[in-house]
Amino acid sequence: MNYLLRLSLLLAILLLPAYGIAAPAPDSGIVTIVIEPMFGDQPLQLSDKQYVDNFGDTLYIDLFRFYMTGLDFGSKADTTFVLAGYSHLVDAEDKNTLSFSVKIPAGTYSSFNFTAGVDSVDNTSGANGGDLDPAMGMYWAWNTGYIMAKLEGHSNVCKTLHHAFEFHIGGYMPPYNAARNIAIALPRAMIVDHDTRNTLRIKADLATWLTTSLAKVNSIVIPGKDAAAMADNYAKMYSLDKEVQIPLIHE
Amino acid sequence: MKYLVTACIGALILYCSFGFDIKPEDIRFVRPDGWPKPVYDLSKNKITVDGFKLGRKLFFDPILSRDGSTSCASCHTQWSAFTHVDHGLSHGINGLKGKRNSLTLFNLAWNKAFMWDGGINHLEVQPLGPITNPVEMGNTLENVVKKLDTVKGYRARFYLAFGDSAITGQHVLKALAQFTVMFESFNSKYDKYTRHEPGGEMTEQELNGLALFRKNCESCHNEPLFTNYSFQNVGLSLDTELKDYGRMAITQDPRDSLKFKVPSLRNVAMSYPYMHDGRFRTLMQVLDHYTNTIVQGPTLAKEFRKPMILSPQDKKDIIEFLKTLTDKDFLFDMRFREQRE
Repeated sequence: MNYLLRLSLLLAILLLPAYGIAAPAPDSGIVTIVIEPMFGDQPLQLSDKQYVDNFGDTLYIDLFRFYMTGLDFGSKADTTFVLAGYSHLVDAEDKNTLSFSVKIPAGTYSSFNFTAGVDSVDNTSGANGGDLDPAMGMYWAWNTGYIMAKLEGHSNVCKTLHHAFEFHIGGYMPPYNAARNIAIALPRAMIVDHDTRNTLRIKADLATWLTTSLAKVNSIVIPGKDAAAMADNYAKMYSLDKEVQIPLIHE
Repeated sequence: MKYLVTACIGALILYCSFGFDIKPEDIRFVRPDGWPKPVYDLSKNKITVDGFKLGRKLFFDPILSRDGSTSCASCHTQWSAFTHVDHGLSHGINGLKGKRNSLTLFNLAWNKAFMWDGGINHLEVQPLGPITNPVEMGNTLENVVKKLDTVKGYRARFYLAFGDSAITGQHVLKALAQFTVMFESFNSKYDKYTRHEPGGEMTEQELNGLALFRKNCESCHNEPLFTNYSFQNVGLSLDTELKDYGRMAITQDPRDSLKFKVPSLRNVAMSYPYMHDGRFRTLMQVLDHYTNTIVQGPTLAKEFRKPMILSPQDKKDIIEFLKTLTDKDFLFDMRFREQRE
Protein backbone atom coordinates (compact mmCIF):
# COMPACT_ATOMS: atom_id res chain seq x y z
CA MET A 1 0.00 0.00 0.00
CA ASN A 2 2.67 2.38 1.15
CA TYR A 3 4.72 1.38 -1.87
CA LEU A 4 1.80 1.99 -4.22
CA LEU A 5 1.19 5.36 -2.69
CA ARG A 6 4.81 6.31 -3.19
CA LEU A 7 4.78 5.06 -6.77
CA SER A 8 1.70 7.06 -7.63
CA LEU A 9 3.18 10.14 -5.97
CA LEU A 10 6.34 9.66 -8.00
CA LEU A 11 4.31 9.27 -11.18
CA ALA A 12 2.34 12.37 -10.38
CA ILE A 13 5.55 14.35 -9.84
CA LEU A 14 6.98 13.06 -13.11
CA LEU A 15 3.86 13.86 -15.09
CA LEU A 16 3.17 17.30 -13.69
CA PRO A 17 5.89 19.21 -15.55
CA ALA A 18 4.39 18.07 -18.84
CA TYR A 19 2.23 21.19 -18.74
CA GLY A 20 5.31 23.41 -18.61
CA ILE A 21 4.07 24.86 -15.37
CA ALA A 22 2.78 22.96 -12.38
CA ALA A 23 -0.77 21.81 -13.10
CA PRO A 24 -3.27 24.20 -11.61
CA ALA A 25 -5.19 23.34 -8.50
CA PRO A 26 -8.91 22.73 -9.19
CA ASP A 27 -9.68 26.30 -8.12
CA SER A 28 -7.13 27.96 -10.37
CA GLY A 29 -6.08 28.11 -14.01
CA ILE A 30 -3.23 29.10 -16.24
CA VAL A 31 -3.05 32.25 -18.30
CA THR A 32 -0.32 32.60 -20.87
CA ILE A 33 0.71 36.10 -21.84
CA VAL A 34 2.21 36.41 -25.30
CA ILE A 35 3.90 39.66 -26.30
CA GLU A 36 3.94 40.49 -30.00
CA PRO A 37 6.43 43.24 -30.80
CA MET A 38 5.15 45.06 -33.89
CA PHE A 39 5.93 48.02 -36.07
CA GLY A 40 2.59 49.21 -37.36
CA ASP A 41 0.87 46.18 -38.78
CA GLN A 42 4.07 44.15 -39.26
CA PRO A 43 5.73 41.86 -36.74
CA LEU A 44 8.96 43.42 -35.51
CA GLN A 45 12.17 42.16 -37.01
CA LEU A 46 15.36 43.46 -35.44
CA SER A 47 18.30 45.07 -37.24
CA ASP A 48 17.84 44.30 -40.92
CA LYS A 49 14.28 45.30 -41.68
CA GLN A 50 13.49 48.84 -42.67
CA TYR A 51 10.44 50.61 -41.25
CA VAL A 52 8.89 53.98 -41.96
CA ASP A 53 7.72 56.06 -39.02
CA ASN A 54 4.84 58.55 -38.82
CA PHE A 55 7.08 61.28 -40.21
CA GLY A 56 8.01 59.32 -43.32
CA ASP A 57 11.56 58.69 -42.08
CA THR A 58 13.09 55.26 -42.58
CA LEU A 59 14.59 53.49 -39.60
CA TYR A 60 15.82 50.19 -38.22
CA ILE A 61 15.18 48.81 -34.73
CA ASP A 62 18.16 47.12 -33.06
CA LEU A 63 16.97 46.55 -29.53
CA PHE A 64 13.63 46.59 -27.75
CA ARG A 65 13.11 45.63 -24.13
CA PHE A 66 10.65 46.51 -21.40
CA TYR A 67 9.60 45.40 -17.95
CA MET A 68 6.17 44.03 -17.13
CA THR A 69 5.46 44.03 -13.39
CA GLY A 70 2.51 44.31 -11.04
CA LEU A 71 0.27 42.04 -13.11
CA ASP A 72 -3.34 41.97 -12.08
CA PHE A 73 -6.56 40.52 -13.41
CA GLY A 74 -9.81 42.36 -12.82
CA SER A 75 -13.24 40.80 -12.74
CA LYS A 76 -16.71 42.27 -13.21
CA ALA A 77 -17.41 41.73 -9.54
CA ASP A 78 -14.86 44.49 -8.96
CA THR A 79 -12.40 42.13 -7.43
CA THR A 80 -8.86 42.09 -8.59
CA PHE A 81 -6.29 39.37 -8.40
CA VAL A 82 -2.84 40.85 -8.02
CA LEU A 83 0.08 38.64 -8.90
CA ALA A 84 2.40 39.82 -6.14
CA GLY A 85 6.11 40.13 -6.74
CA TYR A 86 6.06 38.98 -10.34
CA SER A 87 8.45 40.75 -12.69
CA HIS A 88 9.08 39.91 -16.31
CA LEU A 89 11.60 41.37 -18.72
CA VAL A 90 10.50 41.25 -22.35
CA ASP A 91 13.36 41.28 -24.83
CA ALA A 92 12.46 41.28 -28.53
CA GLU A 93 15.74 39.51 -29.24
CA ASP A 94 14.97 36.55 -26.98
CA LYS A 95 11.91 34.52 -28.04
CA ASN A 96 11.78 32.83 -24.63
CA THR A 97 10.86 36.14 -23.04
CA LEU A 98 7.95 36.79 -25.40
CA SER A 99 5.62 34.47 -23.59
CA PHE A 100 5.15 33.44 -20.01
CA SER A 101 2.48 31.69 -18.00
CA VAL A 102 1.00 32.58 -14.66
CA LYS A 103 -1.40 30.74 -12.38
CA ILE A 104 -4.42 32.70 -11.17
CA PRO A 105 -7.57 31.82 -9.22
CA ALA A 106 -10.48 30.37 -11.18
CA GLY A 107 -13.05 32.98 -12.12
CA THR A 108 -14.37 35.26 -14.79
CA TYR A 109 -12.10 38.14 -15.68
CA SER A 110 -12.76 41.24 -17.74
CA SER A 111 -9.46 43.05 -17.71
CA PHE A 112 -5.74 42.51 -17.59
CA ASN A 113 -3.54 45.22 -16.13
CA PHE A 114 0.17 45.57 -15.70
CA THR A 115 2.83 48.14 -15.04
CA ALA A 116 5.10 48.92 -17.97
CA GLY A 117 8.18 49.50 -15.85
CA VAL A 118 9.21 48.89 -12.26
CA ASP A 119 7.59 50.44 -9.19
CA SER A 120 9.46 52.69 -6.78
CA VAL A 121 9.72 50.00 -4.09
CA ASP A 122 11.84 47.80 -6.34
CA ASN A 123 13.83 50.85 -7.38
CA THR A 124 14.88 51.55 -3.82
CA SER A 125 15.32 48.10 -2.27
CA GLY A 126 18.90 47.30 -3.27
CA ALA A 127 20.00 44.30 -5.28
CA ASN A 128 16.97 42.37 -6.52
CA GLY A 129 17.04 38.97 -8.20
CA GLY A 130 15.50 37.17 -11.15
CA ASP A 131 14.50 39.41 -14.04
CA LEU A 132 15.15 42.41 -11.77
CA ASP A 133 18.81 41.43 -11.27
CA PRO A 134 20.92 44.55 -11.96
CA ALA A 135 23.01 42.35 -14.28
CA MET A 136 20.18 42.25 -16.84
CA GLY A 137 21.45 45.42 -18.51
CA MET A 138 18.39 47.39 -17.46
CA TYR A 139 19.85 49.23 -14.47
CA TRP A 140 21.55 52.58 -14.08
CA ALA A 141 24.62 52.64 -11.90
CA TRP A 142 25.43 56.30 -11.25
CA ASN A 143 21.85 57.37 -10.62
CA THR A 144 20.11 54.35 -9.13
CA GLY A 145 17.09 52.98 -10.88
CA TYR A 146 15.74 50.63 -13.48
CA ILE A 147 15.61 51.36 -17.15
CA MET A 148 11.95 50.54 -17.57
CA ALA A 149 12.01 50.33 -21.33
CA LYS A 150 14.83 50.46 -23.84
CA LEU A 151 14.57 51.15 -27.55
CA GLU A 152 17.62 51.45 -29.79
CA GLY A 153 17.98 51.65 -33.53
CA HIS A 154 19.36 53.73 -36.33
CA SER A 155 18.01 56.08 -38.94
CA ASN A 156 19.68 58.34 -41.48
CA VAL A 157 17.80 61.32 -40.08
CA CYS A 158 19.76 61.01 -36.80
CA LYS A 159 22.82 63.25 -36.87
CA THR A 160 24.59 61.01 -34.39
CA LEU A 161 27.42 58.49 -34.39
CA HIS A 162 26.33 55.60 -36.67
CA HIS A 163 22.99 57.44 -37.06
CA ALA A 164 21.94 55.76 -33.85
CA PHE A 165 18.98 56.65 -31.68
CA GLU A 166 18.62 55.41 -28.14
CA PHE A 167 15.85 55.73 -25.62
CA HIS A 168 16.57 54.38 -22.15
CA ILE A 169 13.46 55.36 -20.28
CA GLY A 170 13.30 55.23 -16.49
CA GLY A 171 13.16 57.23 -13.29
CA TYR A 172 11.04 56.46 -10.25
CA MET A 173 11.04 59.78 -8.41
CA PRO A 174 8.04 62.05 -8.71
CA PRO A 175 7.13 64.05 -10.69
CA TYR A 176 9.01 62.13 -13.38
CA ASN A 177 8.17 58.54 -12.52
CA ALA A 178 8.28 56.64 -15.80
CA ALA A 179 6.33 53.54 -14.72
CA ARG A 180 2.96 53.42 -16.49
CA ASN A 181 -0.14 51.44 -15.67
CA ILE A 182 -1.47 49.65 -18.69
CA ALA A 183 -5.06 48.45 -18.77
CA ILE A 184 -6.03 45.90 -21.39
CA ALA A 185 -9.80 45.57 -21.66
CA LEU A 186 -10.98 42.13 -22.68
CA PRO A 187 -13.83 42.23 -25.23
CA ARG A 188 -15.38 39.12 -23.76
CA ALA A 189 -15.07 37.60 -20.34
CA MET A 190 -12.07 35.38 -19.78
CA ILE A 191 -13.11 32.26 -17.94
CA VAL A 192 -10.31 30.77 -15.93
CA ASP A 193 -10.58 27.28 -14.55
CA HIS A 194 -8.39 24.24 -14.30
CA ASP A 195 -9.69 22.66 -17.53
CA THR A 196 -8.79 25.43 -19.90
CA ARG A 197 -5.78 27.41 -20.81
CA ASN A 198 -6.20 31.06 -21.70
CA THR A 199 -3.80 32.97 -23.85
CA LEU A 200 -3.71 36.74 -24.05
CA ARG A 201 -1.80 38.02 -27.05
CA ILE A 202 -0.67 41.58 -26.42
CA LYS A 203 0.66 43.76 -29.21
CA ALA A 204 3.45 46.24 -28.45
CA ASP A 205 3.55 48.58 -31.42
CA LEU A 206 6.72 50.64 -31.76
CA ALA A 207 5.16 52.89 -34.41
CA THR A 208 2.98 54.18 -31.61
CA TRP A 209 6.01 54.74 -29.36
CA LEU A 210 7.80 56.85 -31.99
CA THR A 211 5.49 59.85 -32.12
CA THR A 212 8.28 62.42 -32.10
CA SER A 213 10.54 62.87 -35.10
CA LEU A 214 13.86 61.07 -34.77
CA ALA A 215 15.48 64.03 -36.47
CA LYS A 216 14.45 66.12 -33.47
CA VAL A 217 14.73 63.72 -30.54
CA ASN A 218 17.08 60.77 -30.82
CA SER A 219 18.52 60.27 -27.36
CA ILE A 220 16.92 60.14 -23.93
CA VAL A 221 19.04 58.23 -21.44
CA ILE A 222 18.37 59.88 -18.10
CA PRO A 223 15.27 60.23 -15.93
CA GLY A 224 13.39 63.49 -16.14
CA LYS A 225 10.71 65.40 -17.99
CA ASP A 226 11.61 64.05 -21.45
CA ALA A 227 11.70 60.46 -20.23
CA ALA A 228 8.32 60.83 -18.54
CA ALA A 229 6.83 62.31 -21.71
CA MET A 230 8.15 59.41 -23.75
CA ALA A 231 6.70 56.97 -21.22
CA ASP A 232 3.32 58.63 -21.81
CA ASN A 233 3.83 57.80 -25.48
CA TYR A 234 4.75 54.19 -25.14
CA ALA A 235 1.99 53.57 -22.64
CA LYS A 236 -0.29 53.74 -25.68
CA MET A 237 1.53 51.07 -27.66
CA TYR A 238 -0.08 48.11 -25.92
CA SER A 239 -3.29 46.55 -27.17
CA LEU A 240 -4.99 43.19 -27.16
CA ASP A 241 -4.43 41.25 -30.36
CA LYS A 242 -6.64 38.34 -29.46
CA GLU A 243 -7.71 36.15 -26.64
CA VAL A 244 -7.60 32.42 -27.10
CA GLN A 245 -9.01 29.72 -24.91
CA ILE A 246 -7.92 26.13 -25.34
CA PRO A 247 -9.44 23.25 -23.39
CA LEU A 248 -6.52 21.62 -21.61
CA ILE A 249 -7.74 18.09 -22.34
CA HIS A 250 -6.63 18.44 -25.96
CA GLU A 251 -3.06 19.37 -25.15
CA MET B 1 52.20 8.59 13.79
CA LYS B 2 52.97 9.14 10.15
CA TYR B 3 49.26 9.52 9.46
CA LEU B 4 48.91 11.97 12.26
CA VAL B 5 51.70 14.14 10.88
CA THR B 6 50.17 13.99 7.40
CA ALA B 7 46.77 14.89 8.83
CA CYS B 8 48.25 17.80 10.76
CA ILE B 9 50.08 19.11 7.72
CA GLY B 10 46.90 18.67 5.70
CA ALA B 11 44.88 20.57 8.26
CA LEU B 12 47.51 23.29 8.33
CA ILE B 13 47.44 23.62 4.54
CA LEU B 14 43.67 23.72 4.63
CA TYR B 15 43.79 26.34 7.36
CA CYS B 16 46.21 28.50 5.41
CA SER B 17 44.53 28.13 2.08
CA PHE B 18 40.99 28.72 3.28
CA GLY B 19 41.84 31.05 6.15
CA PHE B 20 39.37 29.96 8.79
CA ASP B 21 39.81 33.32 10.40
CA ILE B 22 36.21 34.47 10.62
CA LYS B 23 33.92 33.01 13.26
CA PRO B 24 30.23 33.74 13.63
CA GLU B 25 30.94 36.02 16.60
CA ASP B 26 33.20 38.13 14.37
CA ILE B 27 30.40 39.20 12.07
CA ARG B 28 27.97 40.56 14.58
CA PHE B 29 26.79 43.98 13.51
CA VAL B 30 26.78 46.49 16.38
CA ARG B 31 24.48 49.44 16.89
CA PRO B 32 26.40 51.47 19.47
CA ASP B 33 24.45 52.91 22.41
CA GLY B 34 22.79 56.19 21.55
CA TRP B 35 23.22 55.82 17.81
CA PRO B 36 20.21 56.11 15.52
CA LYS B 37 18.61 53.08 13.91
CA PRO B 38 20.60 51.95 10.84
CA VAL B 39 19.03 52.70 7.46
CA TYR B 40 20.23 49.43 5.93
CA ASP B 41 17.90 46.53 6.70
CA LEU B 42 20.23 43.73 7.74
CA SER B 43 17.34 41.28 8.06
CA LYS B 44 17.06 41.26 4.26
CA ASN B 45 20.70 40.31 3.78
CA LYS B 46 21.71 38.28 6.82
CA ILE B 47 25.45 38.37 7.29
CA THR B 48 27.00 34.91 7.30
CA VAL B 49 30.61 33.82 7.64
CA ASP B 50 30.64 32.60 4.04
CA GLY B 51 28.87 35.69 2.71
CA PHE B 52 31.28 38.00 4.51
CA LYS B 53 34.29 36.06 3.23
CA LEU B 54 32.96 36.03 -0.32
CA GLY B 55 32.36 39.78 -0.12
CA ARG B 56 35.89 40.27 1.17
CA LYS B 57 37.34 38.21 -1.67
CA LEU B 58 35.38 40.22 -4.23
CA PHE B 59 36.44 43.50 -2.62
CA PHE B 60 40.09 42.66 -3.16
CA ASP B 61 39.72 40.97 -6.55
CA PRO B 62 40.74 43.09 -9.59
CA ILE B 63 38.66 40.73 -11.73
CA LEU B 64 35.85 43.21 -11.13
CA SER B 65 37.54 45.67 -13.50
CA ARG B 66 37.47 45.33 -17.27
CA ASP B 67 41.21 44.81 -17.66
CA GLY B 68 41.80 43.00 -14.36
CA SER B 69 43.92 45.86 -13.00
CA THR B 70 41.76 47.55 -10.42
CA SER B 71 39.92 46.23 -7.36
CA CYS B 72 37.68 48.03 -4.88
CA ALA B 73 40.67 48.04 -2.54
CA SER B 74 42.77 49.90 -5.12
CA CYS B 75 41.01 53.12 -4.18
CA HIS B 76 39.79 52.09 -0.74
CA THR B 77 42.65 51.10 1.55
CA GLN B 78 41.85 50.16 5.11
CA TRP B 79 44.51 52.17 6.94
CA SER B 80 43.12 55.40 5.46
CA ALA B 81 39.56 54.50 6.52
CA PHE B 82 39.05 52.91 3.10
CA THR B 83 39.76 55.90 0.94
CA HIS B 84 42.52 56.52 -1.64
CA VAL B 85 44.93 58.41 0.56
CA ASP B 86 47.19 61.01 -1.07
CA HIS B 87 45.17 60.93 -4.29
CA GLY B 88 43.13 64.03 -4.93
CA LEU B 89 41.26 62.30 -7.71
CA SER B 90 41.13 58.55 -7.67
CA HIS B 91 42.20 56.68 -10.75
CA GLY B 92 41.20 53.45 -12.33
CA ILE B 93 41.89 51.31 -15.38
CA ASN B 94 44.43 52.45 -18.01
CA GLY B 95 45.67 55.08 -15.56
CA LEU B 96 42.55 57.14 -16.24
CA LYS B 97 41.73 59.76 -13.65
CA GLY B 98 38.28 60.12 -12.15
CA LYS B 99 36.75 63.45 -11.36
CA ARG B 100 36.22 62.88 -7.67
CA ASN B 101 38.14 62.02 -4.53
CA SER B 102 37.13 58.57 -3.32
CA LEU B 103 35.03 58.60 -0.16
CA THR B 104 35.89 56.83 3.07
CA LEU B 105 33.94 53.64 3.82
CA PHE B 106 32.62 53.01 7.31
CA ASN B 107 29.33 53.07 9.20
CA LEU B 108 27.69 52.57 5.81
CA ALA B 109 24.54 51.10 7.34
CA TRP B 110 23.55 54.64 8.38
CA ASN B 111 24.08 56.11 4.93
CA LYS B 112 20.92 57.23 3.17
CA ALA B 113 22.52 57.92 -0.21
CA PHE B 114 25.90 57.08 -1.64
CA MET B 115 28.59 58.90 -3.63
CA TRP B 116 29.41 62.63 -3.38
CA ASP B 117 26.23 63.45 -5.30
CA GLY B 118 23.98 60.92 -3.55
CA GLY B 119 23.05 59.38 -6.90
CA ILE B 120 23.03 55.83 -5.51
CA ASN B 121 20.19 55.04 -3.15
CA HIS B 122 21.15 51.75 -1.50
CA LEU B 123 24.26 50.12 -0.07
CA GLU B 124 23.84 46.99 -2.16
CA VAL B 125 23.88 48.76 -5.51
CA GLN B 126 26.65 51.21 -4.61
CA PRO B 127 29.42 49.03 -6.15
CA LEU B 128 27.73 49.43 -9.54
CA GLY B 129 28.98 53.04 -9.60
CA PRO B 130 32.71 52.25 -9.60
CA ILE B 131 32.30 48.94 -11.48
CA THR B 132 30.68 50.65 -14.47
CA ASN B 133 32.41 54.04 -14.40
CA PRO B 134 34.64 54.15 -17.53
CA VAL B 135 37.48 55.81 -15.59
CA GLU B 136 37.23 53.52 -12.57
CA MET B 137 36.68 49.83 -13.34
CA GLY B 138 35.11 50.29 -16.78
CA ASN B 139 33.10 47.10 -16.59
CA THR B 140 29.52 45.86 -16.48
CA LEU B 141 27.89 43.69 -13.85
CA GLU B 142 26.91 41.22 -16.60
CA ASN B 143 30.57 40.88 -17.49
CA VAL B 144 31.65 40.54 -13.84
CA VAL B 145 29.19 37.66 -13.41
CA LYS B 146 30.48 35.95 -16.58
CA LYS B 147 34.11 36.37 -15.56
CA LEU B 148 33.58 35.13 -12.01
CA ASP B 149 31.89 32.06 -13.43
CA THR B 150 35.14 31.10 -15.17
CA VAL B 151 37.33 31.45 -12.09
CA LYS B 152 37.89 28.28 -10.13
CA GLY B 153 36.43 28.33 -6.65
CA TYR B 154 33.94 31.14 -7.03
CA ARG B 155 30.94 28.93 -7.77
CA ALA B 156 31.59 26.95 -4.59
CA ARG B 157 31.90 30.16 -2.59
CA PHE B 158 28.59 31.45 -3.95
CA TYR B 159 27.01 28.13 -3.06
CA LEU B 160 28.30 28.35 0.51
CA ALA B 161 27.13 31.94 0.86
CA PHE B 162 23.75 31.79 -0.86
CA GLY B 163 22.91 28.11 -1.36
CA ASP B 164 23.15 28.54 -5.12
CA SER B 165 26.26 27.97 -7.21
CA ALA B 166 24.83 29.97 -10.12
CA ILE B 167 26.55 33.35 -9.86
CA THR B 168 24.15 36.28 -10.19
CA GLY B 169 24.51 40.03 -10.07
CA GLN B 170 22.26 40.09 -7.02
CA HIS B 171 24.52 37.73 -5.08
CA VAL B 172 27.72 39.56 -6.08
CA LEU B 173 26.20 42.76 -4.70
CA LYS B 174 24.72 41.17 -1.57
CA ALA B 175 28.07 39.57 -0.72
CA LEU B 176 29.91 42.87 -1.11
CA ALA B 177 27.31 44.51 1.15
CA GLN B 178 27.79 41.82 3.82
CA PHE B 179 31.48 42.68 3.90
CA THR B 180 31.32 46.47 3.69
CA VAL B 181 28.44 46.92 6.14
CA MET B 182 30.73 45.44 8.80
CA PHE B 183 33.17 48.39 8.43
CA GLU B 184 32.14 49.93 11.71
CA SER B 185 34.04 52.71 13.41
CA PHE B 186 33.03 53.58 16.97
CA ASN B 187 36.16 53.07 19.07
CA SER B 188 38.08 56.31 18.67
CA LYS B 189 39.44 58.25 21.61
CA TYR B 190 36.40 60.51 21.27
CA ASP B 191 34.07 57.49 21.60
CA LYS B 192 35.92 56.31 24.69
CA TYR B 193 35.66 59.84 26.08
CA THR B 194 31.89 59.89 25.60
CA ARG B 195 31.59 56.40 27.11
CA HIS B 196 33.88 57.37 30.03
CA GLU B 197 36.20 54.50 29.22
CA PRO B 198 39.95 54.19 29.80
CA GLY B 199 41.82 55.67 26.85
CA GLY B 200 39.25 58.42 26.52
CA GLU B 201 41.13 61.02 28.55
CA MET B 202 41.10 64.17 26.44
CA THR B 203 43.66 66.95 26.81
CA GLU B 204 42.61 70.50 27.51
CA GLN B 205 43.37 71.43 23.91
CA GLU B 206 41.25 68.56 22.53
CA LEU B 207 38.37 69.55 24.81
CA ASN B 208 38.65 73.13 23.68
CA GLY B 209 38.65 71.86 20.10
CA LEU B 210 35.52 69.83 20.81
CA ALA B 211 33.78 72.91 22.22
CA LEU B 212 34.74 74.95 19.14
CA PHE B 213 33.66 72.09 16.89
CA ARG B 214 30.25 71.91 18.53
CA LYS B 215 29.84 75.65 18.08
CA ASN B 216 31.00 75.91 14.46
CA CYS B 217 30.74 72.54 12.70
CA GLU B 218 28.09 70.53 14.50
CA SER B 219 25.13 71.71 12.42
CA CYS B 220 26.28 69.53 9.49
CA HIS B 221 28.89 67.22 11.03
CA ASN B 222 26.73 66.23 13.96
CA GLU B 223 27.60 63.55 16.52
CA PRO B 224 27.70 60.62 16.81
CA LEU B 225 28.10 59.92 13.07
CA PHE B 226 29.69 63.32 12.34
CA THR B 227 27.47 63.94 9.35
CA ASN B 228 23.82 64.80 8.91
CA TYR B 229 23.87 63.13 5.46
CA SER B 230 22.72 66.30 3.75
CA PHE B 231 24.15 67.87 0.59
CA GLN B 232 25.70 71.31 0.93
CA ASN B 233 27.51 73.94 -1.04
CA VAL B 234 30.45 74.83 1.21
CA GLY B 235 31.63 77.75 -0.89
CA LEU B 236 34.26 75.99 -2.97
CA SER B 237 35.02 77.67 -6.29
CA LEU B 238 33.96 75.68 -9.33
CA ASP B 239 36.90 73.81 -10.84
CA THR B 240 36.85 74.98 -14.45
CA GLU B 241 38.45 71.75 -15.69
CA LEU B 242 36.09 69.33 -13.94
CA LYS B 243 32.95 71.50 -14.09
CA ASP B 244 31.39 69.35 -11.40
CA TYR B 245 28.07 70.68 -10.19
CA GLY B 246 27.53 67.77 -7.80
CA ARG B 247 24.03 66.87 -6.72
CA MET B 248 22.38 68.88 -9.49
CA ALA B 249 23.45 66.22 -12.01
CA ILE B 250 21.22 63.77 -10.14
CA THR B 251 18.19 65.88 -9.30
CA GLN B 252 18.39 68.27 -12.26
CA ASP B 253 17.32 70.90 -9.77
CA PRO B 254 19.28 74.20 -9.97
CA ARG B 255 18.81 74.54 -6.22
CA ASP B 256 21.22 71.60 -5.86
CA SER B 257 23.98 73.23 -7.89
CA LEU B 258 27.46 72.79 -6.35
CA LYS B 259 26.10 70.72 -3.48
CA PHE B 260 28.00 67.65 -2.35
CA LYS B 261 27.49 65.13 0.40
CA VAL B 262 28.55 66.12 3.90
CA PRO B 263 31.14 63.43 4.69
CA SER B 264 31.59 61.92 8.13
CA LEU B 265 34.60 63.34 9.94
CA ARG B 266 35.43 60.10 11.71
CA ASN B 267 39.02 59.09 10.87
CA VAL B 268 39.39 62.38 9.01
CA ALA B 269 43.02 62.84 10.02
CA MET B 270 43.85 59.62 8.14
CA SER B 271 41.91 60.29 4.96
CA TYR B 272 43.53 63.30 3.29
CA PRO B 273 43.21 64.95 0.84
CA TYR B 274 39.86 66.65 1.41
CA MET B 275 36.73 67.81 -0.42
CA HIS B 276 34.99 66.11 -3.35
CA ASP B 277 37.90 66.88 -5.68
CA GLY B 278 40.67 66.47 -3.11
CA ARG B 279 41.80 70.08 -3.47
CA PHE B 280 43.02 70.48 0.12
CA ARG B 281 45.89 68.42 1.47
CA THR B 282 45.61 69.38 5.11
CA LEU B 283 42.87 70.00 7.65
CA MET B 284 44.34 73.46 8.23
CA GLN B 285 43.72 74.30 4.55
CA VAL B 286 40.10 73.20 4.96
CA LEU B 287 39.60 75.42 7.99
CA ASP B 288 41.40 78.30 6.24
CA HIS B 289 38.91 77.92 3.40
CA TYR B 290 35.98 78.11 5.79
CA THR B 291 37.27 81.34 7.33
CA ASN B 292 38.82 83.06 4.30
CA THR B 293 37.83 81.85 0.82
CA ILE B 294 34.11 81.08 0.84
CA VAL B 295 32.59 81.80 -2.58
CA GLN B 296 29.14 83.33 -2.16
CA GLY B 297 26.35 81.99 -4.34
CA PRO B 298 22.64 81.25 -4.37
CA THR B 299 23.04 77.69 -3.12
CA LEU B 300 25.68 78.38 -0.45
CA ALA B 301 24.92 76.72 2.89
CA LYS B 302 23.32 79.19 5.30
CA GLU B 303 26.07 78.50 7.85
CA PHE B 304 28.62 80.21 5.58
CA ARG B 305 26.62 83.28 4.71
CA LYS B 306 28.18 85.03 7.70
CA PRO B 307 31.94 84.71 8.02
CA MET B 308 33.20 82.00 10.34
CA ILE B 309 35.61 83.50 12.82
CA LEU B 310 38.37 81.23 14.13
CA SER B 311 41.75 82.27 15.46
CA PRO B 312 44.85 80.34 14.38
CA GLN B 313 44.88 78.77 17.85
CA ASP B 314 41.17 77.83 17.52
CA LYS B 315 41.96 76.01 14.29
CA LYS B 316 44.83 74.12 15.88
CA ASP B 317 42.55 73.08 18.72
CA ILE B 318 39.82 71.89 16.36
CA ILE B 319 42.37 69.83 14.44
CA GLU B 320 43.63 68.28 17.68
CA PHE B 321 40.05 67.34 18.45
CA LEU B 322 39.51 65.89 14.96
CA LYS B 323 42.51 63.63 15.54
CA THR B 324 40.64 62.04 18.45
CA LEU B 325 38.18 60.68 15.84
CA THR B 326 40.85 58.31 14.53
CA ASP B 327 39.78 54.76 15.34
CA LYS B 328 42.83 52.48 15.31
CA ASP B 329 40.77 49.40 16.18
CA PHE B 330 38.94 49.93 12.90
CA LEU B 331 41.94 50.94 10.79
CA PHE B 332 43.89 47.84 11.80
CA ASP B 333 41.01 45.40 12.16
CA MET B 334 42.28 42.04 10.87
CA ARG B 335 38.83 40.98 9.65
CA PHE B 336 39.06 43.48 6.82
CA ARG B 337 42.51 42.44 5.57
CA GLU B 338 42.94 40.64 2.30
CA GLN B 339 43.22 36.89 2.93
CA ARG B 340 44.93 34.30 0.79
CA GLU B 341 41.94 32.06 0.40
